[in-house]
Amino acid sequence: MSASVDEQTPRRRMLLGLGWVSFLVSLLGPVLANVRFLFPNVVYEGESVLKLDSLEKYLVGSITFFADKKIVLFREKDGFRACTAVCPHLRCVISPFVGAPGASPDILRARCPCHGSTFDGRGQVLGGPAPRGLDFFRVTKSPDGRVVVDTRKVVAPSEHFKL
Amino acid sequence: MVTESPKETGRRKAVSWIRDNRVVRSIFRRGYPDNDLDRAAVMFSNFFLHVLPARTHVHSLKPTYTWGLGIISLFLFVILLGTGSLLMFFYVPSTERAYSDMKDLQFVVSYGVVLRNLHRWAAHAMVAVVFLHMCRVFYTASYKAPREFNWVIGVLLWGATLMMSFTGYLLPWDQLAYWAITVGSSIASYPPLVGEYIRTLMLGGDTVGQNALIRFYVMHVIVLPGIMMILMGVHFWRIRKDGGLSRPPAPPAEAARGEAAAFSPHKTYMLVELAEGKTPMVDAQAPEEEVMSWPHTVFRMLVVFVGVVAVLSAVAYFFDAPLEELANPDHPPNPAKAPWYFLGLQEIVSYSALAGGVIVPAAAIIGLMTIPYVDRNPEGQGAWFTSAQGRRITLWSVVAVIPVVLVLTWLNEHYAVRILVPGASQIWVDLLNPGTILIALFAAGSLYTWRRTGSSRMGALALYSYFLTSYLIYTLIGLYFRGANWAWIWPWQATGLH
Ligand code: FES
Repeated sequence: MSASVDEQTPRRRMLLGLGWVSFLVSLLGPVLANVRFLFPNVVYEGESVLKLDSLEKYLVGSITFFADKKIVLFREKDGFRACTAVCPHLRCVISPFVGAPGASPDILRARCPCHGSTFDGRGQVLGGPAPRGLDFFRVTKSPDGRVVVDTRKVVAPSEHFKL
Repeated sequence: MVTESPKETGRRKAVSWIRDNRVVRSIFRRGYPDNDLDRAAVMFSNFFLHVLPARTHVHSLKPTYTWGLGIISLFLFVILLGTGSLLMFFYVPSTERAYSDMKDLQFVVSYGVVLRNLHRWAAHAMVAVVFLHMCRVFYTASYKAPREFNWVIGVLLWGATLMMSFTGYLLPWDQLAYWAITVGSSIASYPPLVGEYIRTLMLGGDTVGQNALIRFYVMHVIVLPGIMMILMGVHFWRIRKDGGLSRPPAPPAEAARGEAAAFSPHKTYMLVELAEGKTPMVDAQAPEEEVMSWPHTVFRMLVVFVGVVAVLSAVAYFFDAPLEELANPDHPPNPAKAPWYFLGLQEIVSYSALAGGVIVPAAAIIGLMTIPYVDRNPEGQGAWFTSAQGRRITLWSVVAVIPVVLVLTWLNEHYAVRILVPGASQIWVDLLNPGTILIALFAAGSLYTWRRTGSSRMGALALYSYFLTSYLIYTLIGLYFRGANWAWIWPWQATGLH
């Protein structure tokens, strides 16, 4: 058996090629399985539907900053709005909105401490590196009369939860 | 004949009893290497020394050629393995315990604070020394054939060193750690298509929490050190196979005499030297160009090791590694700064995350890895900055970058895209920012240098110097000129916040 592969019959060469291909393909399965293994199916990272205080607690014109829940709740005369407090640039928590009570959303300002992105009360980026605006979430009411923010439902910044 | 005093005879007997007893012999096989035969043999028969050749070219021992940076990196790595293993005995990677374990190391465990300081400062030192080593190798043109691939491995080792440092950064679970990793892992989510997957893979979830901590821990203590040890093994082995450290080629007069002249008539070669043609000693033309590795190389290494340990111990004794308050996911510190070696990137990230997080690092790594395959002529190997012309080009490249970077930074402060057009679309921010503009300028500058001089080496020198200088400036800006909300401040205005 001193003949090299090239001198062997085409049939043998094909079988050898087939062997190599199936060997490489068989490697693919375990590799993909191990990569998939690293992506968790369940994570325990807190709730995505956030229950806040009862509706009357929030006075018209107030802006409440929930650092722990990472959301901001606006009570305007048209109703409630809620947006994320996580900066869309690199996920720092933005600072609370500043502006006179009852001021129009266009005058409100919030800044991010990490790289200085600036947002107005509609979540729009005014300056800094943030690639997009702040997400606004659907606000509803629970049967026991509390404000509920569903962070899985992104809505337009102008959408109010009317009473 | 000289007669010995009884005292001297006694001393000699004692020394030889220690050196030559059965147990020592069984370990070291031969006596103390006090003649050239044994000095050569010790390099073969000792596992730890066999990575070194029996003889070393004198050029490799010149402190002003290597500055010992490679070997210092290795020693720092060894120190990090030692101190790291000890710290592991007192550290539990859980979000509930990690921070209090750090406090215990600081206040309760005997010498805990010293060990932690040693580990932290050695890590910082390694990041710096590995980088300087890369600069040395670049400026002496040591990446040229046959060492191209070893340069690539070196770039990978540099990347692994940064990843080691980055993963270690989270473990104390303090404010600095938490927010540096929040920001850092978000940068990883910017590459198109795969970004979010990379981030999930890193964090094992969507936020920096327990899953992220254990992942970073496993990477830090097992995966990355393992990868580094393998890469280092290959890195060192290839140095031997490529003929030792780089050095200027043999004088042209000898080379002109043809192939045969590459071998010296004054020397005896082993078969393997002839067969491979390029073992460390083939280039050494005369016996006076080489010295026995024992003691010349081995003891120099020992001195460097002692020096590294001495300096580190002094630093670890006088300066405590920082530890801020417990991580608080609700409030980032203001400003939230990355570790110093990432501050240059963070500065560019503050213009555009895509530029700082993806475009610039990708350009840097691809540029570094391809340099030996683009700049192929053997010009300048083994000489700092290649030639007088190279020295001039390096100097001018460094000098030219400084005003360019400063002007771009100033322009960005006053006329950034979103200042001119508030709410401008992200595409313009990603395209027109100092990071991307600099890359374009650097590419143009180095191609121009290449064309003008007709030498790819000169183009490479310019490019590397541009990157090096701009990165240093951005690091300094991030360190001293950025305050709350990442606004520009002067160093003397810095508040206590950091
Ligand atoms: S994280 Fe908000 S600006 Fe960077």
